[in-house]
Amino acid sequence: MSHLTSRRGLLFGTAAVSAGALLTACTSNETDDGKAAANERPAADDKPGKHVTIGFAGPQADHGWLNAINDNAKSRAKKYADVSLEITEGSNDTAQQIGQIETLINKNVDVLVVLPADGKALTQVGLKAMRAGIPVVNLDRIFNSAQAYRCWIGGDNYGMGLNAGRYIGEKLKDKPDARVVELAGLDNLELTKQRTQGFDDALKNYPNIKKVARQAAEFTVESGQSKMAQLLQAQSKFDALWNHDDDQGVGALRAIQQAGRNDFLMVGGAGALAAFQAIKQDDGVLKATVLYPPTMAASAIDLARALGQGKGVGGLAEFEIPASITLYSAVVDKTNVDQYMSTGFR
Amino acid sequence: MTQPVSPPRDTAGKIGPAGRPATWRSLSARADVRTLSLLGVLAALVVIGGVTKPDEFLDTRNLQLVLTQASVIGVVTVGMTFVITSGGIDLSVGAIVALASVWATTVATQEYGFAGILFTAMVVGLGCGLVNGVLIAYGGMVPFIATLAMLASARGLALQITDGKTQIVTIDSVLRLGERDSYVLGVPPLVIVFAIVTIVGWLLLNRTTFGRRTVAVGGNSEAARLAGIDVRRQRLYLYLLSGLCCGIAAFLLIVLSGSGQNTNGNLYELDAIAAAIIGGTLLSGGRGTVTGSVLGVLIFTTITNIFALNNLQSDVQQIAKGAIIVAAVLVQRRTARTA
Amino acid sequence: MAPEPPLLSMSGITKSFPGVRALDGVDLDVQAGEVHCLLGQNGAGKSTLIKVLAGAHQPDDGTIRWRGEPVTLRSPIAAMRLGIATIYQELDLVEHLSVAENVHLGHEPTAAGFVVRGKAARTSTGGLLKRLGHPEIDPTRLVGELSAAQQQIVSMARALSHDVRLIVMDEPSAALDPDEVDNLFRIVGDLTADGVAVVYISHRLEEIRRIGDRVTVLKDGRAVAGGLPAKTTPTRDVVALMTGRDVEYVFPERPVGEPEAAPVLQVRGLARDGEFAPLDLDLRPGEIVGLAGLVGSGRSEILETIYGARRPTAGRVTVEGRTLRPGSVRSAVRAGLGLAPEERKAQALLMLESVTRNVSVSSLSRFSRAGWVDRRAERAAARAAVRELSLRPDNPDVPVRTLSGGNQQKAVLARWLLRGCRVLLLDEPTRGVDVGARAELYAVVRRLADEGLAVLLVSSEVPEVLGLADRVLVLREGRVVHTAPARELDEHRVLDLVMEGSPAS
Repeated sequence: MSHLTSRRGLLFGTAAVSAGALLTACTSNETDDGKAAANERPAADDKPGKHVTIGFAGPQADHGWLNAINDNAKSRAKKYADVSLEITEGSNDTAQQIGQIETLINKNVDVLVVLPADGKALTQVGLKAMRAGIPVVNLDRIFNSAQAYRCWIGGDNYGMGLNAGRYIGEKLKDKPDARVVELAGLDNLELTKQRTQGFDDALKNYPNIKKVARQAAEFTVESGQSKMAQLLQAQSKFDALWNHDDDQGVGALRAIQQAGRNDFLMVGGAGALAAFQAIKQDDGVLKATVLYPPTMAASAIDLARALGQGKGVGGLAEFEIPASITLYSAVVDKTNVDQYMSTGFR
Repeated sequence: MTQPVSPPRDTAGKIGPAGRPATWRSLSARADVRTLSLLGVLAALVVIGGVTKPDEFLDTRNLQLVLTQASVIGVVTVGMTFVITSGGIDLSVGAIVALASVWATTVATQEYGFAGILFTAMVVGLGCGLVNGVLIAYGGMVPFIATLAMLASARGLALQITDGKTQIVTIDSVLRLGERDSYVLGVPPLVIVFAIVTIVGWLLLNRTTFGRRTVAVGGNSEAARLAGIDVRRQRLYLYLLSGLCCGIAAFLLIVLSGSGQNTNGNLYELDAIAAAIIGGTLLSGGRGTVTGSVLGVLIFTTITNIFALNNLQSDVQQIAKGAIIVAAVLVQRRTARTA
Repeated sequence: MAPEPPLLSMSGITKSFPGVRALDGVDLDVQAGEVHCLLGQNGAGKSTLIKVLAGAHQPDDGTIRWRGEPVTLRSPIAAMRLGIATIYQELDLVEHLSVAENVHLGHEPTAAGFVVRGKAARTSTGGLLKRLGHPEIDPTRLVGELSAAQQQIVSMARALSHDVRLIVMDEPSAALDPDEVDNLFRIVGDLTADGVAVVYISHRLEEIRRIGDRVTVLKDGRAVAGGLPAKTTPTRDVVALMTGRDVEYVFPERPVGEPEAAPVLQVRGLARDGEFAPLDLDLRPGEIVGLAGLVGSGRSEILETIYGARRPTAGRVTVEGRTLRPGSVRSAVRAGLGLAPEERKAQALLMLESVTRNVSVSSLSRFSRAGWVDRRAERAAARAAVRELSLRPDNPDVPVRTLSGGNQQKAVLARWLLRGCRVLLLDEPTRGVDVGARAELYAVVRRLADEGLAVLLVSSEVPEVLGLADRVLVLREGRVVHTAPARELDEHRVLDLVMEGSPAS
């Protein structure tokens, strides 16, 4: 049984790799840069071309994942001699971010990579850039209008929930009356709803499994500890836990340890380094985490460079890069964790 | 358009039926009415919790959990109570907790172990309080603005220190304090600290010259000045006190969560203000109650606990929290009026 | 009197607050065009009655008739619609709005229903101010920049901006100088000539005599006399009705002989630019020195500067040979100075607190060790101080806001008594204190002086200064124009000096 489930896990892992490979050139030039957290395989042709100036605007890096986004973008750009990166001070203030992007437009950068603080609110400035002839790579949080970006690349929140649900489902499918609980992220974000929806949809395939409780934390350690402590008190017995976010997972794990519980398995989300390490050590409840890869920022830089140089994506027949790329939310467990270790963020 | 002067709302000043002013006994009885109404709300919550989830709610572990969760915000609220009683406000408490918690958990600080973490949390809290106090007391800044500025800068500095990363605590002695085997006779150490802060706060407010001066400054700062009180120095001390409470709370949070993060203490300022006001501290200053504030914190924590145990979601929780604030204040006003 | 019904007729008005019956079957008739004076001690029910009349309180019982028709004054707006306007003692103007905006607050002249026509508002305000004899007040100025007297005029203009038939004035002369009072009376005369009725509340009997037509006296929530002729009823009778005693101003005996002791307070060349000129003053233990002068003559400023609440631009203050740190209240208090300020509620009292805590606030270190307050000792000392000043009620645990004005003042005096202060600075000690209580307060001050306290007294009521002080300094525009023993001065002479400033002859 365990053999079968681990095979299943491996299957998902492989699927993730192959999805990545779809985007990447066949050449896999692993460098040992050390600092670069990004997966080193380029999404587009990496032969030197004409010089491209990429403007990058992201939100304030007040969260581990967002911080990893910035790191990935920077280190990726540094890798290319023909790319210079104009990076703005991260801001969560919509008006300020609009101003920053307008400044980049005025500086006449070749391509823009934008991770908006709020996708809807920044649609107009995306349109403005496109009209000014600057292609926009929209990172993760999507604009309202497809006219506001040339290419969107981002994670799959629904897929995260789906894969977390499948992983847990496969682990528990032979257990009668299995009970699972969910520690969701910030409830007023749409992505939290999507992750929950995916999870619920996956569980529908396993009639023996029932989701008995759900509480929303706030992506912070503090809230993760607090909400998890309440969940543990509310549910004296359950078999699996799906936690939306590895950052709040630090707090959740702390609460689990404080309650002295180890009678269930836990699946995290996002792909923090600490989570990878715990999975590798395999001495706690955390058995897997579902990726929401910050390497997408590195890919976005690749796409921007390809756009600037008028190239397509290696490995695809088309001359143009795609309009939209949804990344696969791979499940990382003990079997494949080593492969992902370098992409883990702090 | 003459706006009529409304009659004195507060009843503590009523003249008795015999035309004699209220006696001390009935005055203290009325102060108790306020506390009793809060205890009533808390009791009602316990009944609701006990009925809906008898096994999970009425459980020693749950009591430990509720009190532990109340400790961090509770300590902050005690400090906030003093500031509000003096007619001020401290919007920076959450940000100070965040800054103190990350400063105390940097790799460099952790090299100094338990004492290093504790000391740094306190000193950062006091330092921020000192800046607040100097700006307000001697710089003549409005508390709202000065502490709002501190909120922004402390959060920014916390972000800069952590670079957005979660700092994991590796000191065993610190971590163990938040775990079950450190409980003293079933009481978590965090709760003991909270209890000590509460008792010291109560004594400070009700039994010392410091408390008297706080109330005098809040009730009428001009009268306090003309009565020979050093109003500015008192204000400085009050923001220092609030900062110190934030430092203690940051340490408790480090112990509780085993980490330091720049997002810690999110919206503590609002929770602490709400708890203090529900407790009966006047937002305009001049009257404060540590007991009421602590009861306010316990009411909020118990609500959160009951909602979580019943698996109700955060939207319902937030609506209920707002409703409870309104209800608690209305109940208090009513009981105060009919007492 | 006209055969038609009176403009306003209130009968059997009863109003209770929890634990107290503020009004107990009060009747009041007001005729159009008369000045009807309302007299009574603090707590007699005057404020409650005018709030009922203004629609701010709903009576529990009784009827109100307006031109013979029964009416219910459900809200202040309802009262205003009938034509009843009230000018409260504590002015209710918005300091950060202009004069015109205040006058038209709530009924701004508008175009298309919502666009405020500022110019129309200013013009009509200007007209009202002119009618009130104050064309010099600029309708565009902020109310906060005006003097108290000017603010009162604005408040009155606001009342007149409605079609008003009855104006209630609550102690309108309290903040006014004599010539301002004259202007006020002229306005009242004009109004009544137009048929407007005025309900006038004042503590000052001489005013009531000058402008009143009839007097209703309230005592303990009842009207003990209604519609007495204001000009002919003997003072003795009125005071007797109000207090049950026949006293008006009774001043205690002065001690015989001059005090011999060395001065406890020495002021040398003390000045504040723009407020008062260099001042020299010696004050001996047992001596009461009065400062007489008009509002704005620098009286209060001098007291506050001596006390350190304002920083002098020149000069120094010495107490028993020790020079005070300029601009430091703490230094003054430590040296033995105490101030009973003019605005008791705003500047001296902690209104939410008990008498004990109000009394002990300046002496906390006496009852504490290492910051720990010995509440028993504190209470005992407060009780002793309260007893010594025969503060009523003699229970130091009651909230200070339940006390009458006179007893609140005693609480402030008790504070300094407890502190063991050597020099007491009294600023308008009897403001808001009713007639009966004044005499008692005067006696207390004199007794304290006899026990060795030095007192510096400021009052805008000349008889008070002359009656209580041993020595009087007459101020005009920040300058001492005359100094003399009180017994050598009379009210006329002082008024001449403060207004004419003729050098002492």
